[in-house]
Amino acid sequence: MTQLDPAFVPDPTVVVSGVSVFFGPKVALAEMSCSFGPGVTGLLGPNGAGKTTLMRAITGLLSVSTGQVWVAGGDPRRVRSVQGHIGLVPEDEAVPGGLTPRDLVRYRAALHSVTDREAPDRWLAVVGLLDVADRAMDGFSKGMRQRAKVAAALVSNPTVLILDEPLNGADPVQRANLIRLFRQLGDQGRTVLVSSHVLYEVERLAERVVVLVRGRLAAAGDRRAIRDAMADRPRRVLVRADPPRVLAAALVGHEAVGGLEVDGDRLTVATRRAGDLALALPGLARTAGVRLWEVRPLDESLEALFRELVR
Amino acid sequence: MPRGLVGLVGANGAGKTTLFRLLLGLARPTEGTVEVCGHPVVSDPIGARGRLGYMPEHDCLPLDQSAADVVATLGELSGLPARAARQRASEVLDLVGLDEARFRPVGGFSTGMRQRVKLAQSLVADPELALLDEPTAGLDPTGREEMLVLVARLASFGISVLLATHLLDDVARVCDHVLMLDAGRLVVAGPTETLLHQTGKFTVEVNAGVGRLTRALTERGLTVVAGEAAMDGEAGAIDVVVGPDAEPVLDTIRDVLADLGLPLHRLSSRAASLDEAFSGGGEL
Amino acid sequence: MTEVRAARGAVYDRGYRPYDGARGGRRAAVLALYKASIRRAIGLRRTWRQKVLPFGLLAVVSIPAAVNVGIGYATRNSPLEGFSFFTYREYVGVSSSLLLFVAVCAPDVICPDRRQRVLPLIFARPLTGSDYVLAKLGAIGTIVFAFSFLPQVLLFVGQTLVSKDGSLEYVKDNADVLWKVPVAVLALAAYYAALSLAVSSLTARRVVAGAAVFGVTIISSIVAAILHEADAVGGRGPLFNVLGLPLLVRDLIFEGHLHEESDLAGVAGAGALAVAVYFAVLALSVGVLLWRYRWAEP
Repeated sequence: MTQLDPAFVPDPTVVVSGVSVFFGPKVALAEMSCSFGPGVTGLLGPNGAGKTTLMRAITGLLSVSTGQVWVAGGDPRRVRSVQGHIGLVPEDEAVPGGLTPRDLVRYRAALHSVTDREAPDRWLAVVGLLDVADRAMDGFSKGMRQRAKVAAALVSNPTVLILDEPLNGADPVQRANLIRLFRQLGDQGRTVLVSSHVLYEVERLAERVVVLVRGRLAAAGDRRAIRDAMADRPRRVLVRADPPRVLAAALVGHEAVGGLEVDGDRLTVATRRAGDLALALPGLARTAGVRLWEVRPLDESLEALFRELVR
Repeated sequence: MPRGLVGLVGANGAGKTTLFRLLLGLARPTEGTVEVCGHPVVSDPIGARGRLGYMPEHDCLPLDQSAADVVATLGELSGLPARAARQRASEVLDLVGLDEARFRPVGGFSTGMRQRVKLAQSLVADPELALLDEPTAGLDPTGREEMLVLVARLASFGISVLLATHLLDDVARVCDHVLMLDAGRLVVAGPTETLLHQTGKFTVEVNAGVGRLTRALTERGLTVVAGEAAMDGEAGAIDVVVGPDAEPVLDTIRDVLADLGLPLHRLSSRAASLDEAFSGGGEL
Repeated sequence: MTEVRAARGAVYDRGYRPYDGARGGRRAAVLALYKASIRRAIGLRRTWRQKVLPFGLLAVVSIPAAVNVGIGYATRNSPLEGFSFFTYREYVGVSSSLLLFVAVCAPDVICPDRRQRVLPLIFARPLTGSDYVLAKLGAIGTIVFAFSFLPQVLLFVGQTLVSKDGSLEYVKDNADVLWKVPVAVLALAAYYAALSLAVSSLTARRVVAGAAVFGVTIISSIVAAILHEADAVGGRGPLFNVLGLPLLVRDLIFEGHLHEESDLAGVAGAGALAVAVYFAVLALSVGVLLWRYRWAEP
């Protein structure tokens, strides 16, 4: 059985193949091929990398110059019924004056012929806007406007949900709630695509990430696996031990260790064979009679990964 | 509020903007007094403002002037003589990392560049206290990193910072002290470290054999709370209850790992994140 | 002899130097805002496009004066039939050009601060709302004054040089001009500045403000004309013409009474009334400005 390239998932709902998008001379996307399936996927990349373009191509809001987009059975640009399966929450834009959340959600419900009359209120409650559902949105904060748009996108019960910086402007409590909501939606089997710059939140939100840099796919998959795939740089692991230099001496003797920095009780170990180091560490510590207080890989976070990819 | 880097968090509408306006003398308190750097604000707001720098959250730069011109003019408005203002403008623009772009009109700048200009103008008059409102908003991860590094450096220049943000991670990384507002009241005030209190557990993450690890530790009498995958042969993380006396438990964990030959990926004390402290109502 | 051991090396610049120099207070800030606003209105430090209107206007108001004097000089020995120098009075308030100027420049110094939300940055500095108003009034007032005054200087100097009775005689005979012109021009400048700034402060959009300035003046002149035609309000209709008030004041300054050709001639107490309405409009304008920026008052 051949391994599937991590850019693709085995049971995709969204497939992007060979897609390029040009805006005049500017290449917004260059031959992107990837797919998305149920669960939450994080879409990352510097400003201008093409994330918004990709999202709009998937929702059919713009046409691609080359290649194909396939969503839940069809081309979102040509097949109308596909649109009903997609919910989009774009980045913060102005709302027409006087519009209330209830108006917006009902409008979307009508647009997609949603028959359940309870649906608008239910989704407004889920995002926590039920008690201000009839207030004009131009008085809302950014975070509240975003939540209204999330409710509007969800009312048609879409299988594919695309969110562009949905946490923008939300305060910590709202952020936690929304993250929980998106995870639930992913667990329900929906395909949720979230783009965000706040990487430590994406870590909590998505198991799978897709990274775009300059219109191209730079990396895809589970973040630890991506890190493993970047074999050319040594990993760094922080070890806090007591007594530190005894362990340092023992580690230097091990062939998996490439370099070592000592700062008080903290050892920063550089290695190109992180797996071997992990195996060796407990035994080495015990033999040397050293207590381990902390072991922490330093470049595993999405932040560290991102830094490497974008360099 | 102590000197140094202080984070200000709170729900939307909890009073952060009002606090800033009070400090700037743009709002009067119904009760009580406000003092900034030893300067009473209510009786002499103009004098107090001389010690402050302010970086608003919203777009606030004149778009048709060059960055250098904008910062220099704002420096003059702070009372600096024209030549000194130009000099200072140049220095702070160097500090925030804006090179030749500073001679181009602000209208053509990206979000990251604009945020930097906003930060620069807040520093041009060498304030004692800089009020920064969401300085990382709209920045991509690289930009956010750079901005946080800049903000962290301010303390080493002798500038105190009040950083209002929704991103608790920014606060945890940069601020020594946290103020939390809720509906106009101060509900938490304390050093960041104290808020990240220990939970009395340690997280152990292995690349394989988490099931065997759990069993072995339980056999040794330790309480284990399962993390993710709990199948034999799988990678996963578990939390081990450690209690007040951590040493023997840590040694046991180490020995079990060595005996079973399991690869140790991570071992760390399970500290509450600021999020948990925040939603927990912030017990200190 | 003490031995001085010099350090072998030191690091001087850690990337930030504190500022220990002079710091002006409110006064310095107001002055800086005043100068910055003037620069903006005249188009200094901006693209050449921004300079077209102000300097074009200066040309428009100055060239006729220069030409007038030039012709007078060229024909001083053989005077032209029907030629006369412009009178100073005539030349104060070349209304339409100045109106165009303030309708474009006043919004330009007031509206962008509001539209681009720069005001919070300005008022985070040692500056109150009234300081802001003062600086802006000063800036526009100064420019209008300068632009109206320059042609007057041209006229005066020109006529002094051309005068048949000799320059000194001319100056002695026309000494009153030396105070009348500045006062009249000041009255005009203050009025136009205050009015246009007040109207501009009501909106954040320059185009709307400019149109509003025109609108106020045009509508008021129409109202005045209607009232004058209908001979209502005891013939005081022309007082409603907002644009014309400074000109009436000018006449009072130059001649001590309203001009014969003025529509108000013969109306009892019209002179005093004109002055009163002038000051009322001025006060109202300044009031509107202070009101608009009151939130920045400590």
